[in-house]
Amino acid sequence: MSVDNAVPDEDRTGNRYHFDRHTPEYRERFSDITQEMHARCPLAWSDTYGGHWVAAGAREVFELARSADKLSNDHDVTGDGSGYHGISIPAQQSSSAIRGGFLEMDPPDQRHYRQTLNPYLSPAAVNRWVPVIDELVRACLDEKIESGRIDFVDDLANIVPAVLTMAMLGIPLARWTIYNEPTHAAVYTPPDTPQMDHVRELQMQLHHDLAGHLAEIRRSSRPGLIGALTRAEINGRKPDDLELLGVIALIIGGGFDTTTALTAHALEWLGENPAQRQRLSGEREHLLDSATEEFLRFYTPAPGDARTVSQDCEIAGARFKEGDRLWLSWAMANRDPAVFAEPNRIDLARKGNRHHSFGLGIHRCIGSNVARAVFKRMVVQVLDRMPDYVCDPEQTVHYQTIGVIQGMRKLPTTFTPGRRQGPGIEETIGRLQGICDEQRLAEPVTKRTAAARITG
Amino acid sequence: MKVKVDATRCQGHTLCAMIAPRIFELDDEDGHSSPTTEEVPADQEDAVREAVRSCPEQAISIS
Repeated sequence: MSVDNAVPDEDRTGNRYHFDRHTPEYRERFSDITQEMHARCPLAWSDTYGGHWVAAGAREVFELARSADKLSNDHDVTGDGSGYHGISIPAQQSSSAIRGGFLEMDPPDQRHYRQTLNPYLSPAAVNRWVPVIDELVRACLDEKIESGRIDFVDDLANIVPAVLTMAMLGIPLARWTIYNEPTHAAVYTPPDTPQMDHVRELQMQLHHDLAGHLAEIRRSSRPGLIGALTRAEINGRKPDDLELLGVIALIIGGGFDTTTALTAHALEWLGENPAQRQRLSGEREHLLDSATEEFLRFYTPAPGDARTVSQDCEIAGARFKEGDRLWLSWAMANRDPAVFAEPNRIDLARKGNRHHSFGLGIHRCIGSNVARAVFKRMVVQVLDRMPDYVCDPEQTVHYQTIGVIQGMRKLPTTFTPGRRQGPGIEETIGRLQGICDEQRLAEPVTKRTAAARITG
Repeated sequence: MKVKVDATRCQGHTLCAMIAPRIFELDDEDGHSSPTTEEVPADQEDAVREAVRSCPEQAISIS
């Protein structure tokens, strides 16, 4: 098996492009680079990171993402299987590599995991959580509503996805603080810095806490995604702790930073475009869905995934060799003028918006329904309670690079103060814990169909 | 107008049901789509055309 990234011969890669998505320059020149690749080389060979293909065009990304029979997501961390390196380019250091759950697996294992988790994450399953989401958003805004100041990242968009994910996993809600900081910081902190050493310490605490909950749930099951995973049979076997920790880490990684990134960018844009904000608020009944999809398209929080070619083949006009590495850029495909008219403009009412932000094919983001629900409930309450907010561009901090997540660290905002409607976050989380336990909210939709009732 | 969803292509993106909720229903367990009716009422034809255009997997066909 040829997993070393051999440089393909010239004749099967006419298109070459020096592509490095991990540089600050890629973020700054994103539109130009994207435009250039669409015009010149929608599918190109790049010499970076040992050499890999880059798909930037919508047609190419579509065809490739839907060729799971020829492209593998497998991350062989033990080295006794395919030898492939999963969805990251560059690949993780093999000494410390952890398999990224079922996103770094192929069928049938990948399919069995998704079948296990779908009844917790389907639209019908997620709808049951909306009253809980609303209550969390209410509490976040109440913490700040009287002061006239809020950081939409720290005080809202970090908190709600994290607490909800705890609830869905079956981990006590109050533990969200242990999980929140390292999950975001691991994405935006540059490697080989003292700050990263601190992040690694926090990650150790997270893994320690998580391993404790997994062990406890194995002994005595409780509702939630972790309980489902401990009972799951994957291709005839019961996965061990290490494999399940990778799966849970995937759910946490997928559930936190991406929704935060989407919400922060959307709120920043709406702050810069108050007429559009007013329009969205007034016409939300028929604009909220299309606006959500448009923010997803334009800001593409998770900008792409890698694949490994698993057999010699020809796709989208290129000849691939087994072992070739490939980057599928959802973010660049989302700006392809062949599919999206005026792709660099945000149109809240955009039609035919078949964006790629949740991926395509069998690996479509399993949490997409959670992401949409949480995003919409946060935006709607902000529009209602802080309708005149003004962001501070001087204090706004975007991630320096957008190779892994197109995210934001700070979005401080001022607004006309308002009245509190209820208790703050800590008290609310305590009450919601009781509601989760009593009503067994983290059961799958196959066991419990009723929406949460906020009592007491 | 007749509408079909190719179950082998649908991955549960749910855009069709957002655009034409009377015509597409989502499975409770996995969110995958199926038509509520094969024959599309005249007043739903535009919405169904928009759903066809918006499907990320191009799984919906009309005839």
